[in-house]
Amino acid sequence: MKRISFFLLFLSLFFISDAQKYMTKNGFIGFFSHTPVEDIKADNNQVASVLDISTGEMAFQVLIKSFHFEKALMETHFNESFLESDKFPRSTFKGKIVNLSGVDFTKTGKYEATVEGALNIHDVTKNIKVPGTVEVLPEGITANAKFNIAPEDYNIKIPAVVRENIAKIIEVTVLIKYTPIEK
Amino acid sequence: MKLWIKIALAVILVFAIAGIGIGIYFYNLEPADLRKARPDFVITAVELQQAFENDETLASAKYVNRIIEVNGLIESISIGEENALSVTLQTNSDLSSIICTIPGAASNANLSTGNPIIVRGECSGYLMDVLLNNCVIIK
Repeated sequence: MKRISFFLLFLSLFFISDAQKYMTKNGFIGFFSHTPVEDIKADNNQVASVLDISTGEMAFQVLIKSFHFEKALMETHFNESFLESDKFPRSTFKGKIVNLSGVDFTKTGKYEATVEGALNIHDVTKNIKVPGTVEVLPEGITANAKFNIAPEDYNIKIPAVVRENIAKIIEVTVLIKYTPIEK
Repeated sequence: MKLWIKIALAVILVFAIAGIGIGIYFYNLEPADLRKARPDFVITAVELQQAFENDETLASAKYVNRIIEVNGLIESISIGEENALSVTLQTNSDLSSIICTIPGAASNANLSTGNPIIVRGECSGYLMDVLLNNCVIIK
């Protein structure tokens, strides 16, 4: 009997720990730059992300080359001169939901969530704190956030010729639809 | 005005207009339509994933930034933001596959899981999966 209950305990732990992790490989991160000269936007639908609802930890990983622009020249500049994607192919974020008590992952609904963590772009890591929303749905969890970053903070140098075309502050949009990790 | 000055001015003007024209042309150039491009590599989804799993550095040097035509079986289909369609191809690995993102194709996709597909795209590299971008469906 003891052995069976231990087995059941182990089994339930296994399932609980399983149900705590959510992930996606098709998340979205887009950015938008507005200047009087032109608006530039890029989108990336190949964002990999994991969310652990027991700890509120979140991790994101993207390939810089997966950002898609309207114009070929923008994509070339972005990869070759600004982000140097051959040298620094990835960008990552690792952080956690700081107001975890305010998010009830067991109940469907929309919650305000603040996420704090380390954002690495162009081999420069900065601590950021961004407001976002988490929505608990029957089929999974969605996470949205909108925040601003300055290319200058990440040692991204914009050449003088296009300085007027690119905003000092870039708006970043994150839209993730997580599904539970199945084994 | 002397004749040679007139000629010189005319020549400068012609060059200036041509320069502006070329500038505008390159500025407005859209990402290449891969339907018309010749693929650098033709490979199966299984082989491509294996190449990255075996040696990411070597495979990146060979495939990243290149146009790759991949054939495989559809594992899953998902619709992303900005009307993008993501098609995942089956490989021998449980954790890693080939993800092909086709911009603007979500509304007119007529694909089903398990069917064979040939996709041409630019290889962005390897995260957990091999990522192909700006893809077009060949067959």
